[in-house]
Amino acid sequence: MKPFAHIGIALIQAALLVLIGPLVTGFVQKLKARLQCRQGADLWQPYRDLWKLLHKQTVQSDTASPFFHAVPVLVLAATVTSATMLPVLWVPSDPSALPLGDAILLLALLSLARFLTAIGALDAGGAFGGMGASREMTVGLLVEPALMMVVFSVAIAAGTTDLGDLSARRNILTTMSWQAPDLLALFAMLVLMLAETGRIPVDNPDTHLELTMMHEGMLLEHSGPGLACIVLATHTKQLMVLTLAAVLFFPIGLTRSMMPFELAVALAAFAAKTLIFAIFLGLVESSYAKLRFFRVPQFLGLGLLCAFLSLALRVL
Amino acid sequence: MKHLRGLVLAVVRLGHLVTLAFALGGAFIAIGVLRSRAAPLHVTLPKLFPFADMSLSVDGLSAFFLLIISLGAAAAALYAPSYIRAHVRAPLIQTFALNGFVGCMALVCCANDALTFLLAWEGMTLASYVLVVSDIRSEENARAGLVYLVMAHAGTAALLVVFLTLVTHAHAFDFPSLRIAARSLDGSTRTWLFMLALFGFGAKAGVVPLHVWLPMAHPAAPSHGSALMSGVMLKVALYGLFRFGFDLLAPHSGPLPASWGWTVLFLGTVSALVGVLLALQQHDLKRLLAFHSVENIGIILIGAGLAMVLDTGRGTSQLATLALAAALLHSLNHAAFKGLLFLCAGSVITGTHERNMEELGGLARRMPWTAWLFLLGAVAISALPPLNGFVSEWMTFQALVLGGARLGGVSGLLAGVAASILALTGGLAATCFAKAFGVTFLGRPRTSHAEHAKESPAPMIAGMLVLAGACVVLGLVPGYVIGLLDRPTSELLSGVGSSAVVIAHGPLVLTSRSAPVGLVATSISVTAVAALFALIAIVAWALRSWPSRVARRLEPTWTCGMKPSSRFDYTATAFAKPLRLIFAALYRPRREVVAETGASPYVLERLSYRGEVVDLAETVLFARTKQGLKAGAEAIRAYSTGRIHGYVGYLLVTLIVTLLIFGKG
Repeated sequence: MKPFAHIGIALIQAALLVLIGPLVTGFVQKLKARLQCRQGADLWQPYRDLWKLLHKQTVQSDTASPFFHAVPVLVLAATVTSATMLPVLWVPSDPSALPLGDAILLLALLSLARFLTAIGALDAGGAFGGMGASREMTVGLLVEPALMMVVFSVAIAAGTTDLGDLSARRNILTTMSWQAPDLLALFAMLVLMLAETGRIPVDNPDTHLELTMMHEGMLLEHSGPGLACIVLATHTKQLMVLTLAAVLFFPIGLTRSMMPFELAVALAAFAAKTLIFAIFLGLVESSYAKLRFFRVPQFLGLGLLCAFLSLALRVL
Repeated sequence: MKHLRGLVLAVVRLGHLVTLAFALGGAFIAIGVLRSRAAPLHVTLPKLFPFADMSLSVDGLSAFFLLIISLGAAAAALYAPSYIRAHVRAPLIQTFALNGFVGCMALVCCANDALTFLLAWEGMTLASYVLVVSDIRSEENARAGLVYLVMAHAGTAALLVVFLTLVTHAHAFDFPSLRIAARSLDGSTRTWLFMLALFGFGAKAGVVPLHVWLPMAHPAAPSHGSALMSGVMLKVALYGLFRFGFDLLAPHSGPLPASWGWTVLFLGTVSALVGVLLALQQHDLKRLLAFHSVENIGIILIGAGLAMVLDTGRGTSQLATLALAAALLHSLNHAAFKGLLFLCAGSVITGTHERNMEELGGLARRMPWTAWLFLLGAVAISALPPLNGFVSEWMTFQALVLGGARLGGVSGLLAGVAASILALTGGLAATCFAKAFGVTFLGRPRTSHAEHAKESPAPMIAGMLVLAGACVVLGLVPGYVIGLLDRPTSELLSGVGSSAVVIAHGPLVLTSRSAPVGLVATSISVTAVAALFALIAIVAWALRSWPSRVARRLEPTWTCGMKPSSRFDYTATAFAKPLRLIFAALYRPRREVVAETGASPYVLERLSYRGEVVDLAETVLFARTKQGLKAGAEAIRAYSTGRIHGYVGYLLVTLIVTLLIFGKG
C-alpha cells in the first residue's frame, strides 16, 4: 500500500502546482500592470482565459499530422509528471518502493515537454512555428547544462540528486549551511529562472510578434482546449521552476509529517517563497528590455559561469 | 530473365534467413552464458596454422556483445530482403557480405587468441567495405570506401603492434597467456600499449578526431548495413577496448592507472560534444545519424572512462560498477535506437528515393509507421524519459555526480564538467532530432518525391518494430536487462555485480546505491514514471474533451494572408542557424549568396544561397597530414632518379646503417 500512498501524495502536490500555476502568472501580470501605473486585469484572469479556451472550438491546420492533436495533452502530461518529482509541502520520510523525486528526471521530463512542443510547432508547416521551435530549443539546450550544474553543485554537497533527500539534508547537515558556492549557485539559478520561465530579457510572454517570438510562436497553431492544455502546462512549469529554486536553496518549512499544523506551516512557507520569486520575476520584467536573440547566449553565459564557479568552489 | 531474378531473390531471402537463425542462436547462447555462473564457454577451432592454436571463448563480456550483435542482426535480417528487392543493387553480394559481416563481428567478440581476433577483425572490415561500395556505385562512395579502408587499417596496424608485443613476451597467441605476459610488463610499457590499443579501437569506433571516415562510410552502405555498422560494429570496437583496458592489459592487482581512465573520459566527452554539434548541421538524414553515432560512442566512453577512474579502491568500487553498467547498457541501447533510426531512414529512402531532408516533408501522413517509429527512436536517442536512452544516461549522470563528490578536488570538478557537457549533449541531440523529425516527416511535402511517398512493405516495418520494441522494453523495465550485466561487470571490475548496485531495490527501481559514508542513494523508477505519465495523459485527454463538444475544424495554416505552400515550412538549415552562429568558432560556417540581376540592378532575377560548415578534424588535422605526406613524397621524388645504380646504392646505405644501429646484440 505504501508506494501508492507516496505516489498519491506526489500527485496531490503536483495538482497543487497545476492549480496555483495560473495564479502566479496572474500575480506577475498584476504586479507589472501596477508598476506601469495601470490597473491591470485581476489575479484570476488566467483562470478565466483557460475556462474560455476550454469551451472553444478547435481549429486545426489542414496540413498537420494526426500527432498534432495529441501534442497538447502529452506536453501537459510530461509537465505534470515532472511536477510530481518536486517536494512542495511534504518530503517522504522513508524511502519509497517506487521512488519519485530525482532532479535529473525532473529536468529530463521538462525537456520532453519542450521537445514535444517543438515537434507540434513544426507540424503545422508555418514559418512562425518553426522559428519559435528553433529558438526555444536553442535557449533550452543552453539553459539545461547550466541548470544541471546548479543542481550538481548542491547535489555534490548533499551526495544525492533526490530533491526530497537534498532538502532534508540542507535542513540537517551543517556542511550544507549557506556558503559562497550557494550564493553563486543561487545567482545562476535566478538568471536561468528568467530563461526557463520564458520571461524578459530572454523571451516575452505577452506577445507573439515575430521579433520576440519564442515560446508563443510555437503555440500559434494551437487553439481551443488544446491551447488551454499547453498554456496550463506553461503556467505549471513556471511555478515548478520557482519551487525548484526554493527546494534547492530555501527548503525551510518542508515537513515530513502529515500533521495539519505542520502542513499549514509548509503551505505558508511555500506561498511566501513563491511570492518572493514571483515579485523578482515581475520586477525584472518591468525594468529590463528584451535582449536581442543573439545576445541571449551571453546572458545565459553569465548563469553558466556562476554555476561553474559554484561547482568549482564546492569540490576544490 | 524473370526466372533468374526470382532465383536471385530466393537466394537473398534464404541468405537472410540464415542470418536470422544465426542471430537467434547467438542471442540464445548469449543469454544462457549471461545468466549462468559456469566457466566461460570454450570451443577449440581446427588448427589452421602450424604455429598457433585457435579457439573461441564466450565469457560475460563476449556474451553481452554477442547479444548486441544478435539484436542488430535479427532486425537487419527481417528488414533486408524487401529493402534489397526495392533497390536491386548487387543483391547477392550484399547478402553474402552481410552474412560474413555478422559472422566476423561475432567471431571478434568470441575470439580467445590474437590470431582469430585479428583475422575476424580484418574480415569484419572487408565485409563492411563491400557493403559500403556495393550499394550506390558513385565516385563519392568509392572515396568513402577508400577513406574507410585506410583508417581501419591504420587502426589495425596499431592493434598489430600491441598484439605482437604481447605475443613476443608470451610466446603464445592465446588470451590467457597474453594476460599473464602483460602482467609482467612494467607500468609505462603497459600504458603505451593501452594508448596504442585506444588508437586502434578508437579509429574503428569513430572517436574524435579519428571519426572522419564514419560520416562518409556509414551513409553509403544499404540502410540495414548502416544500421549494423553504426549500431553494432562500433560496439565491437568498444568490446576490444573493454577487453584490453579492463582485462588483458590490466594489472594483476590494484587499480588501473589513472591516466587510462582520464584519457578515455576526455576522449568520450569531446566525441560526445563534437559528434552532436556536427550532426546538427547535416541535412542528409543518414549522415546526420552517422554523426550521432560519434556522439553516442562518446557517451559510452564517458561511462567506461569513469569506471576506470573510479576503480581505484578508496570506496568507489560500487560507483565504478554503476559507471560500467551504464556504459554497457548504453551500448545495447544505442544498438537498438540507432539501428531503428537507420532502418527508418532506409524506409524513407525506399519510399522517396531521397536522403536530403530539405527535399522531404509531410511524410507522417504518407508513411505513418515509419514516422512514428522514427519519433520513438528520436525520443530514445535524445535521452528523454521514459525510453531507453534516458536510463543509461541517468546512470552515467549519477556515476559522474556521486563519483565527483567522492573524488573531490580537480578530479571532482572534471567529473562535474563532464556531467554538464553530457547534459548539453542531450539538449543538442533533442534539438537535432526535433529538426530531423520535424523537417522530414511534418509540414508539407517539399518535392514531388515526398508527395508521392508510399509506406514500406511489412517485412521492413517488422524489422523496425523489433528494435522499437527493444527501445521500449529497455526503457520501461531496464532492471531485467541490468540483471544480465552482472557477469560482465563483476568480471571486469573486481567488485560486486551490477544488480547488487543498480537494482538493489528491486527490478523496477534504479538506484545509485553507494556504500560510502555520508552519501545516500538516489533512486528512480522509470516504470512508475511511465505509468504516471500515461495516467495523467488519459486524465488530461478526458478533461480536454469534456467541455467542448464541437467537432474540430480544419483550416489552412495562417501564412500572413498569402497562399500557403511548402516554401513557408521552416527548413533544416534555418532551424539550425542559431546554433551555427553561437558555435561559429567550431563550425567556421561559410556562406555564399549570389544575386543575379537583370538589366537594372534593382531587379533580382535569381538569388542562390550556399552554406556549409566544416569538420575541424577533417580540415585541420587530416588535410594537413595529407599535405605533409604529399610534400614528403614530392621531396623524395627528387632522389628517385629511375636509375638502378642509385637504388642499389640506397639499399646498401640502408643496410649498413641498420647493421650499425641494431647489429650489435
